[in-house]
Amino acid sequence: MSDRSSEEELLEFLYACPVGLLECNAAGDIAMINPHAMQHLLPLTGSRDASNLFSALEQHAPELRSIANDFRPDTGKICDGHRIYVDLGTGRKVGSPQVLSCTLVKLGPDRLMATLADVSEQVVQERRLRQADTWFATLLDSVNGYATVEIDSDRKIVSANVCFTQLTGHDHLEVAGQDLDTVLGAEASGQVPRLGEQIEIAERDGWHLQEGWQQRAGGEHYWCQRLVVARSKSEMTRSGFFVVLRDVPQHNEGTADLQRLLMSDPLTGAANRRHLSQSMQQEQTHWRDFQQPFSLIVLDLDHFKSVNDIHGHPVGDLLLCGVVTACAMLLPPRGLFARLGGEEFAALLPRFDREEALALAEEMRKAIAALTVASSIGIVEATASFGCATIDEAQGSIDGLLALADARLYSAKRAGRNRVHRVEGRAA
Amino acid sequence: MSFEAVTLAELEAMSATEHNLLPYGVVGFSQDTTVNVYNATEARMAGLDASQVVGAHFFEAVAQCMNNFMVAQRFQDEPELDDIVPYVLTLRMRPTRVRLRLLARAGGLRRYILVER
Repeated sequence: MSDRSSEEELLEFLYACPVGLLECNAAGDIAMINPHAMQHLLPLTGSRDASNLFSALEQHAPELRSIANDFRPDTGKICDGHRIYVDLGTGRKVGSPQVLSCTLVKLGPDRLMATLADVSEQVVQERRLRQADTWFATLLDSVNGYATVEIDSDRKIVSANVCFTQLTGHDHLEVAGQDLDTVLGAEASGQVPRLGEQIEIAERDGWHLQEGWQQRAGGEHYWCQRLVVARSKSEMTRSGFFVVLRDVPQHNEGTADLQRLLMSDPLTGAANRRHLSQSMQQEQTHWRDFQQPFSLIVLDLDHFKSVNDIHGHPVGDLLLCGVVTACAMLLPPRGLFARLGGEEFAALLPRFDREEALALAEEMRKAIAALTVASSIGIVEATASFGCATIDEAQGSIDGLLALADARLYSAKRAGRNRVHRVEGRAA
Repeated sequence: MSFEAVTLAELEAMSATEHNLLPYGVVGFSQDTTVNVYNATEARMAGLDASQVVGAHFFEAVAQCMNNFMVAQRFQDEPELDDIVPYVLTLRMRPTRVRLRLLARAGGLRRYILVER
């Protein structure tokens, strides 16, 4: 019989376990934690509290707290392999984790179990695979031609190949020394991400591929893949980038139709919930990676049921279409107007802060109040109530953002309708 | 022989019995981080038997939570080291605020970590 107690064996097992394990309560206060988990947590905490999971990760994964809070059931898996980017910068031990993976399981109403593992290597490999995929796709797809441009770190064109002339309509010799953004009109094209952001990502990941409409010098639009690759930093020269542009065959009608069907509301043509949700996830990534905030407006037509009851559904439908047309006209280039259902709509506003969102909501309110639809028994008018919220206010949580905007919409309703709810500056 | 005052030379000169009488944890390890000294206080706090720890690689098998730039890396980077750092250990899997004293000198037989909870 072993002279070691089973408790001691269990302790040894937990001390040596090469995966981080911890148990905490719903507020994140850690009850049990093995050394491997603490090894990951402690360097991230700085002056924050290392004995609380959510405080320890506040700076690198603020969303984790809300993800856990938003999970309603008493037991179950809250998240599986949630990626936490923890680049600690230079001067830290080489080989220390860049990316942690966190899995949270709820064992009871006030009991959470978490694992933390270093997945930096895996992330690097995934990136390599994606890169290989990108290049294979580039080689295999039918292609009309490549334009390659070398730019320096200030985005000034160093050189461009002959195909650049053919593709963009700008003479490849004359563009040397010019700003690539200006030549391509890239910042004005409304593409996501912008060229500058693509370069930032390429600086971090080595490359970035994007697809969207581009305009030739003569004004003609073409569907363009834009690949930005960071030049090797081992060279003695200043760092810079290669940009590859290629004119890919346009999506054929069938695909475009299918895409429209999947992404829009059949009655009004506004984006549907699914499209809104995808776009919000994209913006959430931008918020996390580039600290680019965004805002959401939700609006609900006032007393819409009575319009349907008195004037009939066809008139109600006309009114809904009118609302979409009026509001969509007011949107910024990358904004999205979506129908959430019934007479409820939302506008997603990239890079809009609270004040800008409130101002736009006010414009939308006026536009809707000015709408008229003719019915057999007279003129129908409409008003709507509005709530706005920013992703910062929701600490990066999409569900939180929707809930906050919704709550404000209902305050606007309670306060008498046909108004934008303005948050008071003072604490509640 | 307090936590703050004890010197590396004094620790080197002590017998295992004397190490065991100290009221704070004492871990001594060689250049390749193999543990040679693991006193009774540390064994009690961590819940481990010294006989299981001596001979193991400290940062890899025993104290993974110190295997980062705040502790292990400092022993690698600084041949001469005498510093006290506030830290959080996982003694018996509970987060425990402690003070660590890191001791090393160039050409020394062992390096030491003292643990005061």
